[in-house]
Amino acid sequence: MATTQNTTASDLSDAIDIGLLDPQKAEFYLTPGGFTGLKYGEADYKRITLRRALPIGQPMAYISVADHDNKEIGMIGAVSELSEEQRIIVTAELENRYYSPTIVEVKSVKDKLGYVYIELVIGREGHPYEKTCTVKDVSKNIRLLGDDRLIIFDVDGNRYLINSLSKLDKKSLSRLEPYMF
Amino acid sequence: MKKITIPEYMFPAFAAQGIDTSELIYAIHTDLVLDSEDTDVYMAVSKESLFVLCGVEKVAKTAGARRVTTVFEASKTEKYSLVELGKLSTERLLSTGRLYSEKDDAAKILLVFSVGFLADVERLIKVVKNIIEGRTPLEEIVVDDKLFCPKCGTRYPEPERKLCPKCMDKISITRRLLGFFKYYKNKVAIILITMLAGSAFAVVSPLIGTKFLFDDVLTEGGNYYGAILGAVGLILFVRAVHVTFNILFSYVLARTVPWIVYDLKLKIFEAMQRLSVGFYTSKRTGSLMNRVNRDANNIYWFFVDGFPYVIVNIITFTGVITLMCVLSLKLAIVCMVILPIAIGLFSLLWRVFRRFHHKNWVYNAQLNSMVSDSVNGQRVIKAYAREDDESKRFSEMGGKLADVDIKAINMEYTAFPLIYTFLFLGQVIVTAIGGMMVLNGEITLGTLLTFIAYLSMLYGPLEFMSWVSNWWARCVDSAQRVFEIMDAEPDIAEPDVPVVLDKIRGDIEIRGVKFEYDPATPVLKGIDLSVEAGKMLGIVGKTGAGKSTLANLIARLYDVTEGSITVDGVNVKELSLAQLRKSIGIVSQDIYLFIGTIADNIRYSNPDAGIEEVIRAAKIASAHDFIMLLPDAYETKVGAGGQDLSGGEKQRLSIARTILQNPNILILDEATAAMDTQTEANIQKALFNLQSGRTTIAIAHRLSTLRDADSLAVLSDGIVVESGTHKELMLKKGEYHKLYTIQLEGLKTINMED
Repeated sequence: MATTQNTTASDLSDAIDIGLLDPQKAEFYLTPGGFTGLKYGEADYKRITLRRALPIGQPMAYISVADHDNKEIGMIGAVSELSEEQRIIVTAELENRYYSPTIVEVKSVKDKLGYVYIELVIGREGHPYEKTCTVKDVSKNIRLLGDDRLIIFDVDGNRYLINSLSKLDKKSLSRLEPYMF
Repeated sequence: MKKITIPEYMFPAFAAQGIDTSELIYAIHTDLVLDSEDTDVYMAVSKESLFVLCGVEKVAKTAGARRVTTVFEASKTEKYSLVELGKLSTERLLSTGRLYSEKDDAAKILLVFSVGFLADVERLIKVVKNIIEGRTPLEEIVVDDKLFCPKCGTRYPEPERKLCPKCMDKISITRRLLGFFKYYKNKVAIILITMLAGSAFAVVSPLIGTKFLFDDVLTEGGNYYGAILGAVGLILFVRAVHVTFNILFSYVLARTVPWIVYDLKLKIFEAMQRLSVGFYTSKRTGSLMNRVNRDANNIYWFFVDGFPYVIVNIITFTGVITLMCVLSLKLAIVCMVILPIAIGLFSLLWRVFRRFHHKNWVYNAQLNSMVSDSVNGQRVIKAYAREDDESKRFSEMGGKLADVDIKAINMEYTAFPLIYTFLFLGQVIVTAIGGMMVLNGEITLGTLLTFIAYLSMLYGPLEFMSWVSNWWARCVDSAQRVFEIMDAEPDIAEPDVPVVLDKIRGDIEIRGVKFEYDPATPVLKGIDLSVEAGKMLGIVGKTGAGKSTLANLIARLYDVTEGSITVDGVNVKELSLAQLRKSIGIVSQDIYLFIGTIADNIRYSNPDAGIEEVIRAAKIASAHDFIMLLPDAYETKVGAGGQDLSGGEKQRLSIARTILQNPNILILDEATAAMDTQTEANIQKALFNLQSGRTTIAIAHRLSTLRDADSLAVLSDGIVVESGTHKELMLKKGEYHKLYTIQLEGLKTINMED
């Protein structure tokens, strides 16, 4: 019975092709203006948009590639399947689109009338700098992603990421702890 | 709001790069240069060029200077000629945005910045556009320069709310709140008098019950030695008066505060009616509105349960301390050492408790959502046999809540006894020192016992005052939000001198209309359309093309960002709002029936209409037949908790309502979108009756319903891609032909299957 059900489910899923691009045929390139383009078979898309289907769980897999009019050309199954040169271009474009500063240290957290002011040290290629962000509705805007990652959304729409809570210093962690759910 | 050109602190940075600052017209500050160490960017525009300075901004204090200054260390300067730059645009990414130029099919990224600066960059683009098109550079550039609190320099958490949580003037907000008490002066006077008297008797009570009893009645040689009955009578009397005043105070308070909250809610509700649709749909105010009830309740409970006791406790505390000093200054000083420690301990404890309460509140909210999810989604849960998983999810969240509760209860059961033990130790110290003073004859036994009684009377006010400040802060925050709604100015304002036409004929001209709800996300990108009085214009297009937005702009529910809409040659912004709204009838798929009878709902557009007019309107709208089948017919209660009506029935009531309004301009916004074929046919008949002789703008995705329109416009991505009659557009074989053929094929397929 179980086998039959699985087969049926699989048949249904197979009925629609998710449109994976052939890594051998895809040639991503950088335009002189700094945009990312794609040559795929005969077609040349001069400006494409890359979007992650699973930005938190699998940020480097299932990447949707859309043209300038936001029409999907296809999906990259896994960035790792691309050649070194292609991978660098795709990764750079994804990092630009999904740029979220990484939090190195939490210097202070002050709660004032429902707004939480957080003084952060943000890492950037070994050049940390301080930034104060303001967070409203902490229960919504300070979110645990799994057990070890945390994301903070400030009132301007910026996102700040802690990639590993277990690697964060104890003081920073204790400052954030009351707001982590 | 004022127009600014260039912030002064930027001048030295531009001058240092050899840029003539006298030529600069406008400048902004952004951040983030992804591929370098730079964290700050200054961008400025002159009549010929765009300058981009990348670097690091530092706060420095020069020797001898009293104030700190901003120093910008530029590492890279770019200069672009405005003529050669091409068209500037922004693209919103996730938490960043980028500025790019387009010329001759080539696009170039100029800058990447944090998304918070998007509106600033958009304004800069507008300045560049004004310069290139030969307009005044700062035309239509309105800059809100008050992003930072002038007192402390903290950025306002929400730029639209000029509210700095650090410097919020709690006193003036409280004063404004207390202003609501002014209509109840007499009652407030009674409350204050009874409160003062009650507190005074409470403070005096130990003097009578202890000092007087021990020193004057029970001690030989006392002024009233042996007069036990008299003393007991006096003690009872003091107690009775104290309780009477307290009852009186609570009674009057309970009869006053609800009326004050009623006034407050009424003022909020009246303010809400004044505000524009945009106020309700914006994210910021959406959350504001949700909080209105909670805020009013916060204020209510603070004024019932908090504020009066602040006064009572302050009076008690001051009175007790004064009497302690009068009784024995030496012992009072000993107490002064204990009290600050007690205050510190209470404050610390409440801070810890607040954290637990917050966690408890969040987990409880999540648990409640889960229950609601489960109740509403029972069909789906059962259909996919996920009962066990749902129980597991609930159990996990329940476990988290239990953990927090256990910690909070443990803390309560251990910390409070410990604090009270500490306070008891203080009392022991006072008893020891006081005992020695009694033995030395410095004070009487009655004085010592009174002193100890007073000391224990201080703990209550201390504990209360250690947490009431947070309660007050929350109440002030709530009041601030409430006042914000009361003070909000509607986006759509009646002009100072509104034009009132004798009669609106219904000629509509839409010229170069652009509109965006959020910066950098244009919905309409330059629409030109016109419709003559009495004619019908059909607007078609895919979902999200901006069709409904256009309808809302004609009815002036929003104002255009650029361009103009005229009715009978008069800009809608100059027309009397009341006349405009009464002349435009909107039938949309979003129907709202108020709580009341069917007749009341039809009459909503014309409250003076008699029942015959209501029935006539219902008959024209093909609603009469189904209304008569309901047991209470036109007196059937509808709206929340009333008779359930189908979508088609509600729609016909809405059409009847519009018929009674008798508008000169009719907007049909997907009026039959969610109907089955038979219902749609009925409603089309009703709509046909309604349309005759009126200017009609009909929006529909079923193109067959628009075939008879005098003209049609096809909207795509915020622009009109085609216009003409049905016949013309079909012959053109463009976008309309494509949409029509797809729909026709779809219908054929359905017929074949049938």
